[in-house]
Amino acid sequence: MKVTTDRFRQTALEELANARTQKFLQILPLRLSARRQEAYGSFSDPEAAHRLGQAIRGEALARLPELLETFERNALANGAKIFWAADSQAANRYIADLARSKGARYVTKGKSMITEELGLNDHLAQCGISAWETDLGEFIAQLLEKPPFHIVGPAINIPVEQIRDIFLEKGVLDQPTLDPVTLGRAARRFLRDKFRDLQMGITGVNIAVAETGTVINVENEGNIRFNKSAPKTLVCVMSLEKVVPTLADALHQLRVLCRSATGQAAGAYISLDSGPKKADETDGPEELHIVILDNGRSAIYQNRHTREALRCIRCGACLNACPVYGKVGGYPYGWAYSGPMGQVLTPALRGLAETGDLIRACTLCHRCKTICPAGIDHPGLLLHYRNKDVQADPLLQGRGADPRERLAHRLFALAGSRYTYWRIFSKVLSRAARLFGKGAMLRGLGPLGRGWFLSRDLPAPAKKSFHERWRQRKD
Amino acid sequence: MPRASLFIPCIVDLVLPGIGESTAALVRHVGHTPVYHREQTCCGLMAFNSGFRDEARTLARHFIQVFEDDATIVSPSGSCVNMVKNRYPELFADEPDWQRRALELAPRVFELSQFLVDHAGVIDLGAHRHATVAYHESCSTLNGLGVSAQPKALLGAVRGTTLVPFKGADVCCGFGGTFANAFPEISTALVAQKVGYFLESGAELLVMCDPGCLLNIQGYLHRHHPGKTAMHLADYLAGGLPGNPGRRP
Repeated sequence: MKVTTDRFRQTALEELANARTQKFLQILPLRLSARRQEAYGSFSDPEAAHRLGQAIRGEALARLPELLETFERNALANGAKIFWAADSQAANRYIADLARSKGARYVTKGKSMITEELGLNDHLAQCGISAWETDLGEFIAQLLEKPPFHIVGPAINIPVEQIRDIFLEKGVLDQPTLDPVTLGRAARRFLRDKFRDLQMGITGVNIAVAETGTVINVENEGNIRFNKSAPKTLVCVMSLEKVVPTLADALHQLRVLCRSATGQAAGAYISLDSGPKKADETDGPEELHIVILDNGRSAIYQNRHTREALRCIRCGACLNACPVYGKVGGYPYGWAYSGPMGQVLTPALRGLAETGDLIRACTLCHRCKTICPAGIDHPGLLLHYRNKDVQADPLLQGRGADPRERLAHRLFALAGSRYTYWRIFSKVLSRAARLFGKGAMLRGLGPLGRGWFLSRDLPAPAKKSFHERWRQRKD
Repeated sequence: MPRASLFIPCIVDLVLPGIGESTAALVRHVGHTPVYHREQTCCGLMAFNSGFRDEARTLARHFIQVFEDDATIVSPSGSCVNMVKNRYPELFADEPDWQRRALELAPRVFELSQFLVDHAGVIDLGAHRHATVAYHESCSTLNGLGVSAQPKALLGAVRGTTLVPFKGADVCCGFGGTFANAFPEISTALVAQKVGYFLESGAELLVMCDPGCLLNIQGYLHRHHPGKTAMHLADYLAGGLPGNPGRRP
């Protein structure tokens, strides 16, 4: 997929002006937030369940290297094959080579953010192998070549007319219709046909269980189960932070994941796969390949701050809570992960050089942190990234501060470091205030604060600061 | 009378000094002697939020030196209090001595409504003020300090004041410090939404505990809805105290 994280501003402006986007943003995040809250109410102690989920992620990260080794050992014992992919090129090459060796002309896919991260579909296409997304929303987004609008509703903002047109164009639909059921049925028939003669299916992984070597997927459409059971060869791609210690941990994480993502106590389909088809079993894949992707994560892991980003379980609850996402939607974030989730993951995975706007497009309201079932301190991480960017941190490819901005902060800090300097600064401001009337509201300051004055006035500095008023008070 | 040290945010000192005076009046009203250290400057929040931690540390060290001998420190700004209480310890992660001083200071710093209700133990200030008001939950006050019940209890106890339900009360107003200037269109969409809910609420005044949100919301109201007013909690409450009825609009 095309990466456009450096176009955050432009895309955000386009989306602010897009009536359809705005309409959906009035509905979707609020509804999902409400559903999440209601679903949490079904826990006997919601707060304790929330904290347990966070603790599981904390332990999983603290023990990550050991858990990955245990997972590998148990998955191999189950008969799975493990491929450790250092980066996306290695993962893509492995998957494409495998497809070729199986004589697959096409593959099917379950919705997975990690294969978006890999740019797998594009790579397979270059190798002459078609990749079909089989989640309905992802299928539509794929045909339209659009990134996901929302992690649980990738194409929810697409008008039905556009779906009809693209389905007709791509041969999914024979007769034009705007009936959603007919459109859904057409997509189902089209994709069922792909499953029938399938050589290789590809899915992501929601959770990997170290103690049993199991990979778990959650979904609502049944397409992932098809992907996992129809082909002879199944590839499950996981980022290395997905592993948790025990099956009990995984089950609790599923409880908070499903509630946080869609407000369900459990997704309609939850698949737990421990190895390929056994000798005495009638169905399932003959080969199970688990690709464990690093792609910069072990470097992130070395730093105790950035490591926190790896807690993420991709539920998307933070998108629904975020005021900025609620105004601009998923496209401006420019990659596989949007909203606060993207703002903590993308800079860590792709570096700060192309994510300077992402780390600053946040009011630090802390709502994401408050609801995050994985215990991520998103604002804390963004503040960390901003600092690393200003410092031109080599690991995160910080760009260094804008010289004028740095000078302004240096001078302000100098003024604030001594009483006498601060009084001079204060005097200069109150002198400036004399240029304006009493209690004046400024409508602009020439080249300064153009963004602010786009829609707001600003009080002029006070003629007498609090400091002076206090000194001259009579009581 | 016990002393309470006034921590006056730089915005209040230089731009909105009336809020500082109202804070002093309220502190005095609940039986404390307000003291003001003239050496105080700025807590360093803006530098910290912009990534300039060296500059933030310069300001934070100055702040700690000015305030660390005080038993009780009170400020009319949720975000500045949040900076001192919750960010200073992290800011000095690599300087154990300063970190210890920051951690010792933190529990003695109170946001104004927190000071009045939790520290001084006063909910009913004996204030009178006839108005229908809505309360905006400033993000740092609500999510940073966990302060929400206190300001609403204070408002609810003012004679003649009706506190109305406010849709989206806890959704950000779009200020975010430099965010408002750096991403003006997104920020504007958020403040317009906040003001829209305010107009729907039927309240005459929108009250809040943070001067940052106040600059944003009042600045937008002044431009687009000149008849409507946003006000700091300190000004609202102090204006209703005996002797100075409705001192400022």
